[in-house]
Amino acid sequence: MTRAPDSRTPPLAALDPRRAGGVRGDALLTAGLRLGFLALILLVWAGIARVAPPGLFASPIAVAEAGWRMAGEGRLLPALGASLTVYLGGTLIAVIFGAGLGFAMGMWRMLGRTIDVYVMALAATPRVAFIPLIIVALGLGVQAKLVVVFLGAVMPVILNAYAGVRAADPELLEMARATGAGRARILRHVILPGAMPYLLTGIRIGATIGLINTIVAELYTAIAGLGGLLALYGSRFRMAEYLAVVVVLAVIGGTMTETLRLIEKRLLRWRDG
Amino acid sequence: MPTGNAPILSASGLCAELGGRPVLEDIDLTLRRGEVLVVLGPSGCGKSTLLRLLGGLIAPGSGRVLLAGHPPRPGRGSATVFQNYRLLPWKSVIDNVVFALPEVPPTQARLRAAEVLGLVGLSRVSDAFPAQLSGGMRQRVALARALAPRPEVILMDEPFSAIDAQAREIMQGELLRLTRAVGGPGVVFVTHSVDEALILGTHVLLLSPRPGRILRRIAPPDWQGDPMAHPQFAPLRRQLWEELKESVLNDPNSDFHRAAL
Repeated sequence: MTRAPDSRTPPLAALDPRRAGGVRGDALLTAGLRLGFLALILLVWAGIARVAPPGLFASPIAVAEAGWRMAGEGRLLPALGASLTVYLGGTLIAVIFGAGLGFAMGMWRMLGRTIDVYVMALAATPRVAFIPLIIVALGLGVQAKLVVVFLGAVMPVILNAYAGVRAADPELLEMARATGAGRARILRHVILPGAMPYLLTGIRIGATIGLINTIVAELYTAIAGLGGLLALYGSRFRMAEYLAVVVVLAVIGGTMTETLRLIEKRLLRWRDG
Repeated sequence: MPTGNAPILSASGLCAELGGRPVLEDIDLTLRRGEVLVVLGPSGCGKSTLLRLLGGLIAPGSGRVLLAGHPPRPGRGSATVFQNYRLLPWKSVIDNVVFALPEVPPTQARLRAAEVLGLVGLSRVSDAFPAQLSGGMRQRVALARALAPRPEVILMDEPFSAIDAQAREIMQGELLRLTRAVGGPGVVFVTHSVDEALILGTHVLLLSPRPGRILRRIAPPDWQGDPMAHPQFAPLRRQLWEELKESVLNDPNSDFHRAAL
């Protein structure tokens, strides 16, 4: 009724091997353009560093040297390890818990209807507001940091998993029932795969908030990790070292987003064939 | 064709309501193996509701349905083909067919699925996703999915109305060939096309506008070749069409009610 079937599509156009070469060519072009744009950013950055008052900014080369030095002195890697532990740990727990709760809310409508307004209210509250409470409860250590990251990353995961289950196509549900499929089979083969695009979007948003909250946690609880280095170099106006940490954070964020995008592309390859 | 055997599907005094308003009234029908019972009627006359009742997806308000001697249960002896294919987009063609075999061990289910995909001529694309197929091919996958569990009855809800005219004609021929090839399941075929009803049906039930009642039962002759070239086709078509048109023009709920024109 709603999906207009298009019978004019040439059959199997997407399986045509000739198109594969075109796709690879496109990917190469995109990679080239991105590298070109990176060069442009570095040029502009270098230009600004040249005209900025000394001590307030640092050139890309100075930043690279600072990063190299920090790594050599053994200050960067332990901080990176600490931050990644908190970030990946907190986000992973958020994905597992959030997907479970969101799916449960969608499956048991009573549960969903009862608590969805509270989840949304909590999602709209700045989670930073809970940091003093978390410190009182859990102290300043790794646990407190994990909770701060978890609280940030979990909300979009819950809400999107919930929305994904609720968006299940009633026509596909009826089709499944007509084949004699039971509840478990319908859940596994119809509802959960249908909710996957929503869930993956939720995870991508959650992972972004998780990284932000990692730094927030490292600044507000026991100063540690990359957030700790930001505070240290920032307060002493050591801009080259400070910007080196910022670059590392950008690389972490970019790598995470790109990895999730690849996973998404792989899992959802059925969408455009 | 073995039409002398006992009915595999029967309904008597079937009535149904939707939201407190009657949709179907007093439907009686019987179907034997190898028969194609076409249910012809205007939009909204309860044709789809009738299929849901026959497949056991909903329970009747009154009256009863028997499929192989028992009240119908989804997936037990019946399979449904829907108008808009309803394939699972995240499953390959072959896995969509396997999905209709919940109680068959995986290895055997795949063998059976490959076999029915061969029957509908889709072996070549069994690993493709539905999004890669044309409308006609998707509907053939849906047909394969319905054939896979070897149902006694296939329930078809305007299955060819969403595909183009040429594909439709080919599919109608395929359907007649296939329902005979797999040992003759009975087919209940819902349509609003008079031509389709006459070409496919061994029996045709003409339903009134909502609430659907049986206005007429006919048994088209065995056409032997091109139905359109048969001398009885045109008169039967005209007769059915006149009756269908009259019922719609006299229906106060229709956009085409006499008073409205």
